[in-house]
Amino acid sequence: MRIAFEEMKADRLLAARTEHGNVAPVLLARGDVPGELRTDVPYQMANILLRVVPYLGSDRVAVVARKCDEKAIAEMSKRGLLDPGKVSLIGLACDARQVSECRCSDPCPSKVHIGECVKAAPADKEVEDLLAKTVPERLEFWTAQFRKCNKCFGCTSNCPVCFCDECLLEEKTFTPEKGIPPGFAFHLIRSIHLADKCVECGECERACPADIPLLALRKMVNRDVKELFGFVAGDGETTSPLLTTLDGEPMEDDHDVC
Amino acid sequence: MSVKHVLTTCPYCGTGCNLFLAVADGRAVGVIPCKTDETSQGQLCIKGYNAHAFVHHPDRLTHPLMRKGEQLTKAGWDEALQKTVDEIKRLVAEHGPDSVMVLASAKCTNEENYIFQKLARAAIGTNNIDHCARLCHASTVAGLLQSFGSGAMTNTIPEFEDADCLLVTGSNTLEAHPLIGARMLKAMEKGAKVIVIDPRDTPLSRIATISMRQEPGTDVAWINGMINVIISEDLYDHEFVAERTTGFEELRELVKSYTPERVEEIAGVPRQHLIDAARTYAAADKAMIAYAMGITQHSNGTNLVRTLANLAMVTGNVGKESSGVNPLRGQCNVQGACDAGALPNLYPGYQSVEDAEVRAKFEKAWNGELQAHKGMTLTCAFNQALTGEVKGMVIFGENPMMSDPDIGHIEAAIQKLEFLAVIDIFPTETAKLADVILPAACYAEKDGTFTSTDRAIRVVRKAVDPPGEARPDWRIACELGRMLGNDGFAFDSPADIMNELAAVAPIYGGIDYERIDRENVRWPCPSKDHPGTKVLHTGSFKIGKGVFAIVEHTPPMEETDEDFPFILTTGRNLFHFHTGSMTRRSVKLQRESPEPYVEINSEDARQLDVLEGQSVRVSSRRGSITLAARVTDWIRPGTIFIPFHYAEAAANKLTNNALDPIAQIPEFKVCAASVEKA
Repeated sequence: MRIAFEEMKADRLLAARTEHGNVAPVLLARGDVPGELRTDVPYQMANILLRVVPYLGSDRVAVVARKCDEKAIAEMSKRGLLDPGKVSLIGLACDARQVSECRCSDPCPSKVHIGECVKAAPADKEVEDLLAKTVPERLEFWTAQFRKCNKCFGCTSNCPVCFCDECLLEEKTFTPEKGIPPGFAFHLIRSIHLADKCVECGECERACPADIPLLALRKMVNRDVKELFGFVAGDGETTSPLLTTLDGEPMEDDHDVC
Repeated sequence: MSVKHVLTTCPYCGTGCNLFLAVADGRAVGVIPCKTDETSQGQLCIKGYNAHAFVHHPDRLTHPLMRKGEQLTKAGWDEALQKTVDEIKRLVAEHGPDSVMVLASAKCTNEENYIFQKLARAAIGTNNIDHCARLCHASTVAGLLQSFGSGAMTNTIPEFEDADCLLVTGSNTLEAHPLIGARMLKAMEKGAKVIVIDPRDTPLSRIATISMRQEPGTDVAWINGMINVIISEDLYDHEFVAERTTGFEELRELVKSYTPERVEEIAGVPRQHLIDAARTYAAADKAMIAYAMGITQHSNGTNLVRTLANLAMVTGNVGKESSGVNPLRGQCNVQGACDAGALPNLYPGYQSVEDAEVRAKFEKAWNGELQAHKGMTLTCAFNQALTGEVKGMVIFGENPMMSDPDIGHIEAAIQKLEFLAVIDIFPTETAKLADVILPAACYAEKDGTFTSTDRAIRVVRKAVDPPGEARPDWRIACELGRMLGNDGFAFDSPADIMNELAAVAPIYGGIDYERIDRENVRWPCPSKDHPGTKVLHTGSFKIGKGVFAIVEHTPPMEETDEDFPFILTTGRNLFHFHTGSMTRRSVKLQRESPEPYVEINSEDARQLDVLEGQSVRVSSRRGSITLAARVTDWIRPGTIFIPFHYAEAAANKLTNNALDPIAQIPEFKVCAASVEKA
């Protein structure tokens, strides 16, 4: 509260607190009773921010943000979805357990207000194991995984960088309304659409009731984008290669199929 | 501008997922899963994510309506309530209290259902109170009560994850209870064997260890067949059978004739699959049975449920963690509506209306004389309306014109009523036939509790105001009770109502709002210091020893013939809920499944020269509907499937009103039908 309203001079604070024996996302205004605010924030606050921004008017908001939230917010501001001047970040460092769960290579926020930074995870074993498989083996793996998909749209609903105006996952020529599981296109469209935005927060994987290893899929696509275009999502300056003409960019290299 | 996140309980299936409704400036604008919720663990299905979508729909009823001739015209609350009370009083005076039927609602809260049944019993003076549990798990309540002594899920939802074997039958779990299905997937991931028996391939059966497609209506045969294998191969639990059950010798005799060969003949299940399934189920240390309408909605539903209980008992798979018999309840509060006494034979807490001691307790609590005989079931009430015995109905939040079998028969029955009042959130197919319509608040607009399928009392919290003049059902029912001259309806809040429910129903004895606000408590919970109960029947069964039922296979009430060569079965899909009044007004759900369809096997379609998407006419002895063909190999030849969500091609125009003699549940799952190009 103090950081948000005194140091950062924000009008609102987006945080998490204990409510009804659970942890709830909460948007507080200056002068509100804070309640029991939490430092173990289980929500992807950038996603919640994206949902509340339309209702903030000219208010300045301080948000409790991990490094991945910080990067997602940068991607939002680059695309004009929010005014970075109106958003202040209360940096939350992930603990060792969280870093290991996300196999995170970049866990430390630019400025830490809560917690202490721990070391990044070594190379992602899940991704390495998948890449060690042959392409047909990988196809078999993903086919089995995607068969469990129950089309809840949890991967998109909870994603902090899933913000297209019109969603092709709801478009019948790509994803016909024929029940579940949806076709391969569902997952591939999502992969491609996030190729220049995904910050590897892992919220899609956590939200998936079928435990499909979506974070591994995301990381594999990100690896390709980095190799092909030298682009990594998450800073406020670098323009996505998909938004340029790619003059002079190498396009001829072969690359692995995901 | 303000944004708040209100923790509440999903209004769709009985899983009881908690979620946050995001409310911006008084409007529900979205849903955020609750990460710390024990049941949902921060995950939801597509219906849960869209639980806000119908709340502010322009079709919501916003003021009372009264019939003036053919027209329903806007009315004030006072005159609409007065008309309802006057009509009830007139019918009671002229024809006695049993001429009135009250239908409660599995979409309303525990507190509201408590008031509905009290309205019927204490204010009108009849036990004629029932609700749509009659159409879904009436046979479970009756069957498990006889086998075990309690008609509810024996285990809890999280326990599915730790079972070694799951036997799933008559439940398309991934579509109808997605977050329970998710637990099943997690169990599989941990190595559990999953056996699915269903006439259709379901998303779960397609990845199951063993999948069998039986002919609809032959379930007793395959279950007895599994028991046959288990006993003849000596795979049964001798100790459990000896110590905790009665009737085993008779069961052993009964199943002798259900050899895998004979079962294959009756049910079309390959003998080796049956043997594998029996061995797998019996070998598991912890095995859970999950079932739903595919078992209960038969004219032998009660006996079928008891046969499943037999299977669990011969292997000792009851009364411990991750072992048991688990009916998956389909509505957010169908468990609670039963718990709260919205049943014609039971007071709140499953206490018999025919037990003089119990009745005396309720007469004291409600300060007046109560009827000694049990009331009419929902299915019976419509039959009696046709014969003129039932003359008035008050329907809270139910839509029998879509949900009940043989809709033509329901419509004729409703037309004969002298008075019909419907209290609902939308102008449903049933409301359109009413004399008085009262607008109700939906789940997002009131406080209360739902009891989930695993007996957890889950809190519903008001997030937004009701539209226009709409009121919560509990306030409407309390007002009717007061105007009927009963002084037992002076409640200020749902919390007050819960206190009275807890005082009269021992299984809820330890429940109060302060406690459940932060604690997930499951009944039985007899006192404030009782932690609630996860696993039922641990030391002994509620009735002492578990009772083996002796049930022979009998064919369904309606069999196929030359004119009606297909077996029609009905059910849900993932994207819609029941009669569609909520989901079909939710944009994203409607986009996923916009039109009615009939699933037909590709070989059958080829013979009829029907192509995917073509319009076909499906008929039964009761009616015809026209809808699109969905040609698939995911259904057995000779069987067709129609989801019952679509008013424009209502599956229940075709279904059979044949009733189970014990529970009076209709046989939704089997009737004879024909298919032709439209």
